[in-house]
Amino acid sequence: MTQHSTQGTVFESQKFMEFPSMKEALIARKIDATFMNVPLAMKLVLDGVPVKLVYLGHRDGTAVVVKRDGPIQKFEDLRGKVVAIPGRFSNQNIFLHRQMKQLGMPFDSLTIKEVPPPEHPSSLAAGAIDAYIIGEPHAAKAELDGYGRVLMQMRDAWPKFISCALVVRQEVIDGNRPLVEELVRGIASSGEWLDADRTTGAQHRKDAAVVAAKMFYNQPQKLLEFVLLKDTTRVSYTQLTPIQADLDEMMELAVELKILPQRIEFEQYVDASFAPDLDSIELKLDRLPDVDKIAAQ
Amino acid sequence: MNFLPYLVVVGALIAIAAASRLRDPLPKYLLPLLVAVIFVCLWQVAADAARYELKDADGQFVRWVEVFPTPRSTVLGMVQPVKDGTLLRYAISSVYRVAAGFGLAAVIGIPLGLWAGWYTRGFEALNPLIQALRPISPIAWIPLAVLWFGVKDAAAIFLIALASFFPIVTGSMTAVRTIPMVYVRSAQNFGLKGFELFRRVVFPACLPQIITSLRMALGIAWMVIVAAEMIAVDSGLGYLIMDARNANYYDRVVGAMISIGLIGVALDLMMRRLERFDEVRWGFSKV
Repeated sequence: MTQHSTQGTVFESQKFMEFPSMKEALIARKIDATFMNVPLAMKLVLDGVPVKLVYLGHRDGTAVVVKRDGPIQKFEDLRGKVVAIPGRFSNQNIFLHRQMKQLGMPFDSLTIKEVPPPEHPSSLAAGAIDAYIIGEPHAAKAELDGYGRVLMQMRDAWPKFISCALVVRQEVIDGNRPLVEELVRGIASSGEWLDADRTTGAQHRKDAAVVAAKMFYNQPQKLLEFVLLKDTTRVSYTQLTPIQADLDEMMELAVELKILPQRIEFEQYVDASFAPDLDSIELKLDRLPDVDKIAAQ
Repeated sequence: MNFLPYLVVVGALIAIAAASRLRDPLPKYLLPLLVAVIFVCLWQVAADAARYELKDADGQFVRWVEVFPTPRSTVLGMVQPVKDGTLLRYAISSVYRVAAGFGLAAVIGIPLGLWAGWYTRGFEALNPLIQALRPISPIAWIPLAVLWFGVKDAAAIFLIALASFFPIVTGSMTAVRTIPMVYVRSAQNFGLKGFELFRRVVFPACLPQIITSLRMALGIAWMVIVAAEMIAVDSGLGYLIMDARNANYYDRVVGAMISIGLIGVALDLMMRRLERFDEVRWGFSKV
């Protein structure tokens, strides 16, 4: 999509297998911006790394997955079970605690294990864990491969669940505002485009699945199609402007959970000024160019 | 700019130059200590070089941003884990895992290596497989380890056992195959054969080389601890590195690395004591 941004700047993307290396690349100024879990961004700022959260990556798109034929039918059944999370500083970890709090379960009623995201489905298949909570497409993988069942989608328990957010280095924000504006505008437009026809055929998402599978992230096309198309409300790419109430709730929970050593004010780590006025976004593009050619590759 | 580390390096180099002119034997620890001092100074220089000035939109200096932990921040970062006993507890967990994995590898590897070394057919059958499996990094085995052993101690111990198994089996195999034939023939002339020949001549003849391979294997086993503890265990020095890394405590990452290095030296020193036994000592000309 970058080649279609308004100014035509090409933003180079780089895939990381895990959060720590990505975080270190950001600290060492080898990358300028990245998508990361929100609590991790808060912790980075508290630790003195000059970055700001400027936009969200998507909403919803996280699920709790259990064994298909297992006995777990509702969240309370997870009591005493081993649940994998992608990391302590993940929104998923925060969710588990929010849910336990709401249901009046003691915080130690689950055994929570930090497991790298790509290993969640295989650990469930091997019986090493009883459940996992993760963003897509890892949640869908177990479902698609037949051994997993979605216990709950985030949108049912915590509507408008925030998973990843766009974090940009302060130096880049101060040194080149128009560039960050262009980047955020590009992400906002892509999101609007992805969700524009999701209730009417979702052709945009079909195209996106092909292009993403073939050209970017080396994920099976079938899996991406499953995530994006089977239920088009599974992941949302709109309403991505950071809103203080949402993020404050997450921050307070993170402090309660002691993954943040202290509270952090919204203004300290968020710069919402880049979020574009969505009415001004004009979707010039319908289908992605050359999709058929790419699909045939 | 901080000139202190440069001055200390120059001082240490002068001390080394002066020491090399002394006739009397030097205190054993002087040179290694000076080299360590130089290393710490270079570390400080590298950390200073990595930090940068943060400026605001108007180009005004705001503050320094540290990128890499300095020697001082590493020491300060380790105060907490040393004080509350986590470092000791984690070191014990890691040593336990290495002992279990290494022990397992030795118990299986030595007899297998001796057997395959003694019987040429056995060697021909096993060696290609062993050599093909040997170069695979333990990290590549992580998914399989989780699949077989779950996210518990057993998976970590398996990885350590796997990594130390290959040098032990290869070492024992080579040891048997390179015994001077004159030992075997003279023993046979004395009427020794079968298991007795093996127990009284072949095994003792192999011991020095087996001990060397055990030493190597223990070094590898200890080196693998970080990878092994990447699997969802919740204790150990490897875990401390992962955990501190996740929480942005890079000073503790470096502190744990140093702890691993120091314990590795201690383990190797213990292993070297084995070489002092009479049964082994004959194989080492320098002891």
